[in-house]
Amino acid sequence: MAIRQSSENGRDGRTGGVPAPRGGGGGSGGGGRTARGGGRPPRRPRRRGLGERAMGRIFLTPSFAFMAVIALFPVFYAVLMSLYEIRGFHQDFAGLGNYARALTDPGFYNAALNTLVFTAASVTLEFTVGLGFALIMHQAFVGRGLTRAVILVPWVIPTAVAAQVWRYMFDHNPGFVNAVLGTDVNWLRDPVWSMVGIIAADVWKTAPFVALLLLAGLQTIPKDYYEAAEIDGAGVFQRFWSVTLPLLRPAIVVALLFRTVDALRMFDFAYVFAGYSNSLATLSVYAQRFLVAEPRLGYASALSTVTFVIVMLVGLAFISRMGRHMVGDTAREVKR
Amino acid sequence: MTTSEEARARETVREAHRPRRRTPPWALGALKLLGLAVVVVWCLFPFLWMAMTSLRSGADALTDPDIFSGPFGLDNYEQVFGLGFQYALRNSLVVAALTTLVCIPVAALAGYALARLPLRGRFLVLALTLVATLFPPVALVNPLYQMYLELNALTGINLLNNYLGMVVPYVALTLPLAVFILATFFAGIPREIEESAKVDGATPFQAFWRVVAPLAAPGVGAASILTFVYATNEFLLAFSFAPRDLNVQTVPVFIGTFQRVGYENPIGQIMAASVLVSVPLILFALVLQRRIVAGLTSGAVKG
Repeated sequence: MAIRQSSENGRDGRTGGVPAPRGGGGGSGGGGRTARGGGRPPRRPRRRGLGERAMGRIFLTPSFAFMAVIALFPVFYAVLMSLYEIRGFHQDFAGLGNYARALTDPGFYNAALNTLVFTAASVTLEFTVGLGFALIMHQAFVGRGLTRAVILVPWVIPTAVAAQVWRYMFDHNPGFVNAVLGTDVNWLRDPVWSMVGIIAADVWKTAPFVALLLLAGLQTIPKDYYEAAEIDGAGVFQRFWSVTLPLLRPAIVVALLFRTVDALRMFDFAYVFAGYSNSLATLSVYAQRFLVAEPRLGYASALSTVTFVIVMLVGLAFISRMGRHMVGDTAREVKR
Repeated sequence: MTTSEEARARETVREAHRPRRRTPPWALGALKLLGLAVVVVWCLFPFLWMAMTSLRSGADALTDPDIFSGPFGLDNYEQVFGLGFQYALRNSLVVAALTTLVCIPVAALAGYALARLPLRGRFLVLALTLVATLFPPVALVNPLYQMYLELNALTGINLLNNYLGMVVPYVALTLPLAVFILATFFAGIPREIEESAKVDGATPFQAFWRVVAPLAAPGVGAASILTFVYATNEFLLAFSFAPRDLNVQTVPVFIGTFQRVGYENPIGQIMAASVLVSVPLILFALVLQRRIVAGLTSGAVKG
């Protein structure tokens, strides 16, 4: 983001909060026009085209109307459905019965635990590997272009495709992973090892994405800081710990936000590896199971609502910590 | 101290410290190259495995983990086309293109408004946009399905097993990120350019359309690519709204739900299909590398 800190342009102050005279039209009277119109003050400049304020509202409307109808409304609709017990064409009001059922359903706790394990493990590993890759790419000069190109390969391959590839690499026949590791593990049947499998597949696919975000962060750290630290006698690890990490913090928080939320709502890997079976069922898979495999729409709606709330709360926790940083720049740019 | 003096002083200090460094430069260079090799192998080996496996045919391919043992042939590709994979490719292309074509113009308007125009509660709107990027698709499956059924009952318009049934939620789910990326790019365009257009007599809309929009082309490109890739990647909604019909089924659903025919292990066919979709996407990513990185990192990094 290129943020200019100040401007001598007199007009900028006015676009902030101060209401422009005569609706939006007055706001467009820039410095140049005032100077030109200065010669004949009695004639008010005719308002031409759309005013800025009106234009702002009109420009925002399509996006937010669309999101309201296609994303926000369905969420409320799902909340409403979650209050009913729906079997076939019969609907009985059940109040919070579906939520109460979730609290006593071992399958729900299993799904929540799976989601938690998957999220904690995959995000930790992705961050570690991604940071390593970013540091490697930041240091190197020869072969940098090639690496920057191939790092997008895992990102661009669709998740369901990557899931099939990894599933067959783990599969007993032909047994590629077992051959490489010299093991004889039934990766797809064993509940623990299949969890390891989808974590490995997810780390493969998204660690490079984390590396890209962190690399961009590394490139904004001025070289002088390292030189200064070196002059002060800081070793490699001390420089990393006291210069790199603190200055990389914004990029780290963003990477963790996107990865954590994406892991919490994960569906593709778990479904392709194990279908609706309990061994890998995440919250998304478990909710989907009661839509498709064993239709109980009220309960499915309650489960998807719970998933929605968990994902949004975790996301909000992140954003409230760094939102001012991320959003602030763009907002400040306008306010000046 | 002037800059050159400073630099000289720093150089002197650095010279003084140099003997402390134990690793010789050639070893450091070799270490860096080794690191890069690890990154390259990490990113490419599953693709290599996929490509080699797709080319292997015969019984050995199903049981022998050595990917370089033949016989090799194009049988798997023939079979995959026989199953209609070309339609899945077409469907994915159409759905992703439609999503991008609808999403980006709408998002560009909102991005411009958020970056430039006087709005009350701008911070709140931007924060809400950011929150909306986190929306879990699973929360949409059931309610949208019901809404599609209602719409069909009321108007006769059927969105199930229809491109639009996927495009509509994809646009809603990609809009927040596109708006955010575009707002960031618009905010980076010097305001003076617009000012001078207005001084020359342009209305605010003309200033946007004729002057600022063309300058935001890199941002529009980045947002378009990310939207396109999202739409080619999405599985859950496509799987729910267009599960089987080959006229609309997208690639992730085709590959992700590939059923074995009879007793034969379909590994070769799945990998052939995976290669057929991965190669164009990888080329796409390589050509547009810079734009993609710019889009992924916009907003993520304070610069």
